[in-house]
Amino acid sequence: MTVYLSLRGIAKSFGGVRALDGVSLDIDEGEFVCFLGPSGCGKTTLLRIVAGLETADAAGILLRGRDLGEVPARARNFGIVFQSYSLFPNMTVARNIAYGLECRRWKAQDVGARVDAMLALVNLRDHAAKYPHQLSGGQQQRVALARALAPQPAMLLLDEPLSALDAKVREELRGEIKELQSRLRITTIMVTHDQHEAMEVADRIVVMNGGRIEQVGRAVDLYERPANRFVAEFIGRMNVLRDLHGHRLAGVRPEHVELVDDGGGARDGLRGQVDRCVFLGGTTRLTLRVDGQRVMLDLRGRRDDLVPGMEVAIRIPAGALVRLDDAVA
Amino acid sequence: MNFAAPASARAAWRRLDADRVGLAVLAASAAALLVVFVGVPLYAILRLSFLTPDGIGLDNYAREFGSPKFLRILGNSFAVATTTTLITVVLAYGFAFALRRTAMPLRRTCGAIALLPLYAPSLVQALGILFLLGRNGIVNRTFDLGIDIYGFWGIVVADVLYSFPHAYLILSAALSVADARLYESARMLGAGPARVFRTITLPATRYGIVSAVFVVFTIVITDFGNPMVIGADYGVLATEIYNQVSGQGRMELGAVIGVVLLVPAAVAVVAERLVTRQQHAVIGDRSEPLRIVPSRMRDGVALAYALAVCAAIASVIVIVIVASFVTLWPYNMQLSLRHYRFEVQNGIAPLWTSIVVSLMAAAIGVAVTVAAACVARWLRPLHAQALYFLSVLPAAVPGMVLGLGYLLAFNVPGHPLEPLYGTLLILALCNVYHYHAQGYLIASTSVGQVSRVFDETSMCLGAGTLRTLRAVILPIIAPAIASIAVFFFVRSMVTLSAVIFLVTPATQLAAVSVLLLDDSGNQNQAAAFSVCIMAVVAVALGLFGGLLRALAGRRAAGQGVG
Repeated sequence: MTVYLSLRGIAKSFGGVRALDGVSLDIDEGEFVCFLGPSGCGKTTLLRIVAGLETADAAGILLRGRDLGEVPARARNFGIVFQSYSLFPNMTVARNIAYGLECRRWKAQDVGARVDAMLALVNLRDHAAKYPHQLSGGQQQRVALARALAPQPAMLLLDEPLSALDAKVREELRGEIKELQSRLRITTIMVTHDQHEAMEVADRIVVMNGGRIEQVGRAVDLYERPANRFVAEFIGRMNVLRDLHGHRLAGVRPEHVELVDDGGGARDGLRGQVDRCVFLGGTTRLTLRVDGQRVMLDLRGRRDDLVPGMEVAIRIPAGALVRLDDAVA
Repeated sequence: MNFAAPASARAAWRRLDADRVGLAVLAASAAALLVVFVGVPLYAILRLSFLTPDGIGLDNYAREFGSPKFLRILGNSFAVATTTTLITVVLAYGFAFALRRTAMPLRRTCGAIALLPLYAPSLVQALGILFLLGRNGIVNRTFDLGIDIYGFWGIVVADVLYSFPHAYLILSAALSVADARLYESARMLGAGPARVFRTITLPATRYGIVSAVFVVFTIVITDFGNPMVIGADYGVLATEIYNQVSGQGRMELGAVIGVVLLVPAAVAVVAERLVTRQQHAVIGDRSEPLRIVPSRMRDGVALAYALAVCAAIASVIVIVIVASFVTLWPYNMQLSLRHYRFEVQNGIAPLWTSIVVSLMAAAIGVAVTVAAACVARWLRPLHAQALYFLSVLPAAVPGMVLGLGYLLAFNVPGHPLEPLYGTLLILALCNVYHYHAQGYLIASTSVGQVSRVFDETSMCLGAGTLRTLRAVILPIIAPAIASIAVFFFVRSMVTLSAVIFLVTPATQLAAVSVLLLDDSGNQNQAAAFSVCIMAVVAVALGLFGGLLRALAGRRAAGQGVG
């Protein structure tokens, strides 16, 4: 695989506030990459710089080795879908999809054929003549997707495209986007603050915080080998523990902690006291106090036998411990 | 996936350049037109007011402020303006309160009647009052009371009716927002209605009140039509400027009065802007809208009051309409169409001239205000602010002053724009720039409501600024564009002050005809002409309503599909 899009040392400040602090990243052709992070981490700014909607203070953006620095958004040929429904309210669905083609001066019959093909692609063939306000939120985002893909863009950029939708529609559309992306093999960047979203669709996840990249990797890498405490706590849940001397941090996922004594009697293991016990459906989340530290456990099924104040013992398998590189404050 | 080939990228670059140039040209021409048609006339007035036989100096001012007659007129103007402002704001506050804060019936009807004066020539109030209370008015003729309405009180009454809708609109807006939580807390704490009004309602609407005070004061001190008709020998600044310039050809004294008129208007505009900037803080995003509980007693009183105000506003207009259809008001009440023959002066021609000028003003007004508002969207903040300032500057220039400025600036032999003088175009332009600020604010507000996401989407899809403007933004704001057109059309039909210095016998306008007919003693024909103007305005508003319904219908039409 060759590097398709290369970002080099991208920096951006808004009125003295650093939004991006020298971000570098390579993306392969046909790859689906997610920028994941809390609000204010710089992920949207980075996407907007890639799109050409924002100018970076320092930037190298190379598309197949060609510098995009001076190329305006309209000439980059990137398809973009925003969070808020950005369909033009004065145009029908079909005219929305045709818009990018008209900008590129396609012939009328080609436009018609392409619009039909795109409508079929997002299963909205019956809605061509409708106006955006007559569609549901999910349908509107599918039209936006079709509109972005119609001019055969070099890349697809998705700026929190699902955040404004209901949970159920969100999950549905998430799957559709992934399916569409793998079918078209279009290089895609999606910005999201939702770890589940990122884990489901992305080939690689770029975890961002405070204008920097914390870690880049597949979902499974980030989950099993988080580089630091931020990533560990942002992707799934993580018990962050100090070692005996208080020098190093180590993490263990709640589902890896074993309960060795549930009140029956003393054995080996770390002893602790039950703080809270919450039934979550498939699992029960137990919160303990162990040596003044808080430890969470995810236990299978329902555990009504565990009540606050109870003495229990746990064991952390050696292989389950993850070293976290942060210095201890 | 296809990828933009270098050739197409170069083509995109060329289009981008055309785009940038187009935008720059648009911004520069909007600014240049404002400078030429607002800045230059203002400069001409200022310059002339300081110009003396010995060069630049304060002689003209010294002479004017040294003359007892001028000081008396200045005093008259301030007396009329303060009295009218006080009465109008109090009456309009009560009226707006009745409509916004009670559950009285007929709220919509009363609100519509209160706006009627906006759609009538600016001297109809005075005309109507004369038909009612004048020397040959129906009251004096019927009861022989010898009421003398001419002068101070005549102007005050006419101007209260004239300025009422402006005050009502501002106060109605101020009273229509309220935080129900405050009112509920006050009631829970045991406050009675009077205390609630004094401690919550009044403070919450104080910015609206201040704003209304400034707006009404400016309207009254610069009003020309009503004092001309009903003022008799009670001179005010606006009539004096006309007498000096048109009557005696003393341009430099007219210029001095123009500058004097400019001061309160400019102060009012600046103060109003400062005040409305504070307004936003009144309502937070967690405010609850006020729910009004019907109360028979309160609603009854409110209805009685609102109907009385409506009766006063409507009566002067109705009486003008009636007077235009009788043989000789008030002596011979036989129905007749003889006043509609328009045998004197230019006959009915000025009405057609007015319609043509108003259509021109509507077209030019829409073009310049919408262009300025749209262009500002893509300018750098500093440039956008400069354009905004230029665009709203005309709000501080009274019509009389602007019209005089045009006369002084362009009616100069050898001036490049001299050929404009005496044409319909200069009348249309004068109206456009007289009302530029209001038109621009409607345009800029509606453009501002269009989300930036649309621009960004359009750009990412490959469109340039001009295509985005044409294909996306303008269609979205189409209803606002229609209302700007109607605004300029209606204002141009009824305005008198700005164009009074610019009309020639060949380019006589309808509103000026009304004034001249009244001046020459043909009150009934003046009434008939006013009715014609109001009829044209009514037709325009009717068409506008139809257009808005059609625009809304076009979107709804898609609903049947699929």
